[in-house]
Amino acid sequence: MLWVDKYRPKTLAQVIVHEDIAQNLTKLVTEQDCPHLLFYGPSGSGKKTLIMALLRQIFGPSAEKVKVENRNWKIDAGSRTIDLELTTLASTNHVELSPSDVGFQDRYIVQEIIKEMAKNRPIDTKGKKGFKVLVLNEVDKLSREAQHSLRRTMEKYSASCRLILCCNSSSKVTEAIRSRCLNIRINAPSAEQIVKVLEFIGKKEGLQIPSGFAARIAEKSNRNLRRAILSFETCRVQQYPFTSNQAIPPMDWEEYISEIATDIMKEQSPKRLFQVRGKVYELLINCIPPEIVLKRLLHELLKKLDAELKHEVCHWAAYYEHRMRLGQKAIFHIEAFVAKFMSIYKAFLIATFG
Amino acid sequence: MGKRNTIVISSSDDEDYEPSSRLTRSYQKPKSTSSLTRTNPSRAKKPRLPGSRLTKQSSNVDEMRLAFRDFDEVLNGVKVSAGSRRSNPKELWVDKHKPSSLEELAVNKKKVEEVKSWFEERLMAPKYLQDEVGRSSVLILSGQAGVGKSATVQVIASKIGAQLCEWNTPTPTIWQEHVHNSSAGMNYTSKLDEFENFVERVRKYGLISSSLNGNSKSSIILVIDDLPVTNGRSAFERLQRCLIQLVRSTRVPTAILATDCGNADSSDLTARWLEELQLTLESAGASKVAFNPITNNSIKKTLSRICRQELCNVAAEEIDLIARASGGDIRHAITSLQLFCLKPNVELDLSSSNSTPSCPKENANLLNEFSGGFSSQYGRDETLTLFHALGKFLHNKRDTENVVALDQNAFRVGEKFSRLPFKMDSPEKILCQAHGQSRPITDFLHENVLDFVSDEAMDDAWAVASYLGDADMLLATSRRTLNRHSEIGNVLQSAAASVAVRGVLYGNFHPSPSRWHAIRKPKLWQIEQSSSHNQNEMLRQRFMEDGGSSSFSEVSVIATEYRPVLKWVGYRKAGDVETHGSEDESLKGMSIDEEESEISDDDDIEDW
Amino acid sequence: MAPVLQSSQPWVEKYRPKQVRDVAHQDEVVRVLTNTLETANCPHMLFYGPPGTGKTTTALAIAHQLFGPELYKSRVLELNASDDRGINVVRTKIKDFAAVAVGSAQRQGGYPCPPFKIIILDEADSMTEDAQNALRRTMETYSKVTRFFFICNYISRIIEPLASRCAKFRFKPLSDEIMSSRILHICDQEGLNLDSEALSTLSSISQGDLRRAITYLQGAARLFGSSISSKDLLSVSGVIPVEVVEALYAACKSGNFDLANKEVNNIIAEGYPVSQMLSQLFDVVVEADDVPDEQKARICKSLAEADKRLVDGADEYLQLLDVASNTMRALCNMPQEFSFET
Repeated sequence: MLWVDKYRPKTLAQVIVHEDIAQNLTKLVTEQDCPHLLFYGPSGSGKKTLIMALLRQIFGPSAEKVKVENRNWKIDAGSRTIDLELTTLASTNHVELSPSDVGFQDRYIVQEIIKEMAKNRPIDTKGKKGFKVLVLNEVDKLSREAQHSLRRTMEKYSASCRLILCCNSSSKVTEAIRSRCLNIRINAPSAEQIVKVLEFIGKKEGLQIPSGFAARIAEKSNRNLRRAILSFETCRVQQYPFTSNQAIPPMDWEEYISEIATDIMKEQSPKRLFQVRGKVYELLINCIPPEIVLKRLLHELLKKLDAELKHEVCHWAAYYEHRMRLGQKAIFHIEAFVAKFMSIYKAFLIATFG
Repeated sequence: MGKRNTIVISSSDDEDYEPSSRLTRSYQKPKSTSSLTRTNPSRAKKPRLPGSRLTKQSSNVDEMRLAFRDFDEVLNGVKVSAGSRRSNPKELWVDKHKPSSLEELAVNKKKVEEVKSWFEERLMAPKYLQDEVGRSSVLILSGQAGVGKSATVQVIASKIGAQLCEWNTPTPTIWQEHVHNSSAGMNYTSKLDEFENFVERVRKYGLISSSLNGNSKSSIILVIDDLPVTNGRSAFERLQRCLIQLVRSTRVPTAILATDCGNADSSDLTARWLEELQLTLESAGASKVAFNPITNNSIKKTLSRICRQELCNVAAEEIDLIARASGGDIRHAITSLQLFCLKPNVELDLSSSNSTPSCPKENANLLNEFSGGFSSQYGRDETLTLFHALGKFLHNKRDTENVVALDQNAFRVGEKFSRLPFKMDSPEKILCQAHGQSRPITDFLHENVLDFVSDEAMDDAWAVASYLGDADMLLATSRRTLNRHSEIGNVLQSAAASVAVRGVLYGNFHPSPSRWHAIRKPKLWQIEQSSSHNQNEMLRQRFMEDGGSSSFSEVSVIATEYRPVLKWVGYRKAGDVETHGSEDESLKGMSIDEEESEISDDDDIEDW
Repeated sequence: MAPVLQSSQPWVEKYRPKQVRDVAHQDEVVRVLTNTLETANCPHMLFYGPPGTGKTTTALAIAHQLFGPELYKSRVLELNASDDRGINVVRTKIKDFAAVAVGSAQRQGGYPCPPFKIIILDEADSMTEDAQNALRRTMETYSKVTRFFFICNYISRIIEPLASRCAKFRFKPLSDEIMSSRILHICDQEGLNLDSEALSTLSSISQGDLRRAITYLQGAARLFGSSISSKDLLSVSGVIPVEVVEALYAACKSGNFDLANKEVNNIIAEGYPVSQMLSQLFDVVVEADDVPDEQKARICKSLAEADKRLVDGADEYLQLLDVASNTMRALCNMPQEFSFET
C-alpha cells in the first residue's frame, strides 16, 4: 500500500493537519445534529480524508466496509428512457458517488437516483429510523439543472438523509445549495504543516531525514499534501539514505509539458503546431485533464517570458480555457491557445529582433 | 471460387438473402431523402453489402439480375457504357473477384500467416492436445468492415482443406412479417435466442455431421460472422455469457468476426460494449488478431487486377482515388470500381474534380449524387464524398482573375479581412451534397487543415484554430439542447458546420502551395476511445490498490499524481494500467504503415 | 448503528415572526396589512425587495393569521422556485387548487377566515414568461375565490399585466440596528455569546439580509459552540478576510506580474471562492479614491467577464489571474491590447 493510503488518518482524532476543523466536526456530530455539509478547497488539501474520518465518527467502523457497485439506471424521461451507468461506493449507512461522471445527463442522476437512495432509510437495531449519508463528489462539475434538482432533493429528504458535498471551488456551486449547507473551507496545508506530516511518516517508517529535505519536498509539492507524501515515497524508492540535496523526481507529465513549452518557444509554425497537437494527444490519452494541461503549459511559458507578454498570454489562457469548458473537444481549444501564443510570440520576436 | 465448401446455417430463414428486394429498397431511399438528415452511419452498425454474404452463388443469379435491373433504373436510364457491358452484369464484382488464393488476399501477409498457423495448429494437433486447459479454440478477428476478415478465413479454409460452417445473423423480422407469421401460427423468436440456441447446440453436439455433405472426415471450422445486435444492457450480458461459454467449451476451431466501429463516439454505449465484449472473450482465453485497414497499395493492386480481368480501362489516378477514398475497405473499393465502370462516358475525371473544383459542375454534382446515393447505404460513403468536400475546403481555391470585376460600390472591408471570391459552390451547398455531418466534418478539418496552411502563416493557423473552436462550442451546445428541442439542435449543427468550413476557408489566407496531401482520419476519435478506456482502468486499479477501503479518487488526481509515482515506485501489479499501451502502439503502427506505404510506393509493387 | 436524528429546525424557521406586526422594519407594509387583516379583505399582492427582508415571512404570517392552523392546509398553497413550476404546473396544480370552492365567510376559532384561498408564489421572478402569462388567465378566472401573493426580488422580471393586478409592496433592506437587535434576541434565546465586534462583522457580511445573518449565526454556532468570534463568522460565511483582498490589490498596484501571480496562487491554495473574491475586489476598486474612472471601468469590465466565465465553469486560477493582470495593466497604465478582442 502506498504511504498516502497507509498513513491516511482513519479517525478525526488522528487528523494532524486540519486539527481545528476535525475538532469542530467531532463536536458537530456528537451533538447528533448534523446539517448538510459542503467541503471545499484545493486538491490535496485533505477533504476526502476528513469526510471519511467524519463518516467513521458517525457510524463507527462499519463505514469503512464499502462495496463497489456498477449500477445501471433506467430513467424515464417523458418521451424516452435513458440508460445511465454509474459506479457507487456504498456501506450500510452511506453511499458515495460522483454524479458528474455521467456528463450532461447528470440531472437525471441527481433527480432520480439520489431520490431513490434518500428514500431508503436504514433501520437500526432498536427499530428506529436512522439517516443515510450521501457523499457527492465534484459537485462543482454538476450542471446548473442538476444543482437545481439537488437543492430540491435536499429540502425534500432532509429528514431521512444528509448530504456531504465535496468540491474544489465553491464558486461553481449555486448560492441556493451553499446557503443550505454548512460550508467548510479546507485550505491547503502550509509548507510547515506538510513538513510535520512528512516527519511523522518518516518516524513511523524509521527513516533518517536530513534537515531541509522535507522542506524541499514540501516546497515542490505546491502545498498539496498528497503530492508531497507521494514524492516522499518516490524519493525513498529512488535513493536511501536520503541526502539533503537529493533530486526530487518530477511528475513525468509535467516534464512532458515543459518539453512542449520548449518546443513552442523554439519554433512557431503550423508544422510545429501539428507536432504539439500530437504531444497533447499523448497527455490526453493518459487522462491528464485538459485544463491541467493548459494551466501547466501557461506556467511553463510564463517562466520563459518577459513581463509584457505575460499579461497577454495569461489573458488568452483564461479566454481559451473558458471556451474549452463550453466546448466538447478540449484539443481544439488547447490548440487554439498554442496557436495564439505562437502568433503573438512570433510577432514579438519580429518586433524585437527584426 | 468453386472449391469452396460452405454451408450456411441460419435457423429461421431457409431462403438465403433476397438481394433484389434489399437492393431495391436501398437504392430508392436516397431519392426521397436526398440530403441532410441522415442518421449518423458511424453509430449504427453499418449495413453490409449483401453480396459478400451470398454463399450459394448459383441459386442467386436470377436475383442478381433483378438487382441489376434496379441498378439501371437508378441510373435514370443513362446509357450503360461499353465498359459495363463487357463485364458480366450477373455478378457483383465483390463476389466475382473474391480472392481464391492466399496470394490474392489483399490483407497484410503477416496477419494472414498468423491466422493460418493458428488454424493449422488447432486442426493438426492431436485430440488430447486440444483438450488441454487454457487452450481455447476461439479466435477473434477484429477490424473495421471490409478489411477482409471473412475472405481471409475462407481462403485459409480452402487452402488447408477445411470445411467452413458459418453462422450468419438471420435477416431481421419486420413488423408486417411478424404479424403475417403470427397469424400463420409462427412464433417470433428473437435473434438473440436463435443465436443462443445455435451456440448451445454447437457446444453440446459439435457440428451436425449430417449437414456436411460427403467427406465428413475433413476438418471443420466454425465461423461466426456478425454477432447479433443487442439492445440494452441485459441482452448484451446474455450475449456475453453465451459467448464466454462458447469460448470455454468448444472444441471446433471457431473464428468470431467482430466488426469495429472505428470512429464511434466514445460515448456510444454499443461501441463500448463491443469493445468490452472482446476484452472479456480474450480474458476467457480466446486469441485475437486485429486487422488493420488495408493499405492503399494493396487495394490499388487488387483494383488494377480486376480492371485487367474485366477489360476496363480505368486510369491509374482513378484507381488511386477510389483506393484512397475507400478508407481501407476493400469491399467498398471494389464496389466503387464497379459502379465507376458502369458509368456512362468514363470521361468523368474524378481526380481533376477534386484538385480543381472548377471542373464541370454538373459532372461533379452528378458524381456526388451517384456516390452519395449509392454508397451511403453501404458504409464507407462518408469518406468518398466527404473526401471531395474536404479537398475543396482545404485546398481553398480562389478566383484570381475576376478580382477586377469586384463591385466597386460594395462595402469595403480592410485589406486584411478581404478575401478573393470562391472558386466553388457555396460551402453550405457542398456540405449538403456531401451529406456532411457537422461533427465529423469539423473533426476532419481539424485533423487535416494544418497541412494546408503555409508554414510562414502562424496567424492564419491561429485564426483557423479559433474558428474550429467556435464550431466545437456550437456543437457542444447543440448536443446539450438536442434532447429537448431537436429543431434548434439542427440549426446549431448546420451553423457549426458552416462556421467550421468558412472559418477554415477564411482563416487560411495564405494556403500552402498546392501539393498532394493524404487526408487523414481524425486521430482524435481513437484518442478519445483510448482515453476513456484508460480512465476506467485507472479507477479500477486504484480501487484495488487502495485495499478497497476508502473512497473514490478523482481520475484527474490518479492520472496526475498517483500514476507517475506508481511508475517510479514500481508498484505494478499484473494486468495493470499499462495494458492499453499496446493499443496505442498499434495505433501508431497503423499510421506509420500508411505513411510508409505512401512513400515506398514502387518498392511495394515489385515486392508482389 | 445510525444515530437518531434530532429534529432540529433551522433557526430561520424557528425565529420566523408569526404575526404580521412582528415583522421587522417594514412599518408601512405592516400598517396596510394589519388593516387588511381587520377587514378580512385583501387584493392580490406583490411583495418585492432584496432577499432576507421579510417578504416570505410576511406572506406566511398573513395567511396564518387569516386562516389559523386548522384551515391553513386547505386554503393556502405555497409554491416556491424549488418546485417544478413550468407552464404545466401553473395550468394544472394552481387551477386544481383554485377550482375547488370554499365555504362562506365564518369566523372559526378567532380567525377571520375570509371566503377565498391564497396561493403564495415565492420567487416568482424565476418563472418563465409563458408561465406568467398562463397565470394571468387563471387569476382572472378564479379571482372570486383566490388571492395571489407574489414574492420576488426583482419586480422588473414580473410581466406588466400581472404586476398591474396586484397591490405592490416594496421591502427595504434592514438597517444595522434592527438587524442587531434581532440577532441579539436570537443569541439570547439560544444562549450564545456574541461580542460587539462579531456583531458588527455579522451585519456587514450579511448586507441587510437577515436570513443570511441568521444562517451564518447558526452555522457558526454549530461548528464553534456557544462563543462566537468574528473570525468564526467569517469562516462560515465564506467571506474573504479584508487583508487577503488588500494584498492582491496591492500586488496589482505594484505592477509586478510575478508578485500578483504568487498572490493568486495563494488565494487558490487557501480555498477562497473566487467569485467571492471578485465581488470583494469589485468593492475595493469602486471605493478606491485614487483611481480614475476610466481605469475603474476597465477593471470592472474584466471583473464582469471573469464572473460570467466562472458561472460557465471556467477555471478559477486562470480567471483570477486574468483579472489580476487586467487590473494591473489598468492601474499601472500599461497598454491594453484590445486589437485581438473578438
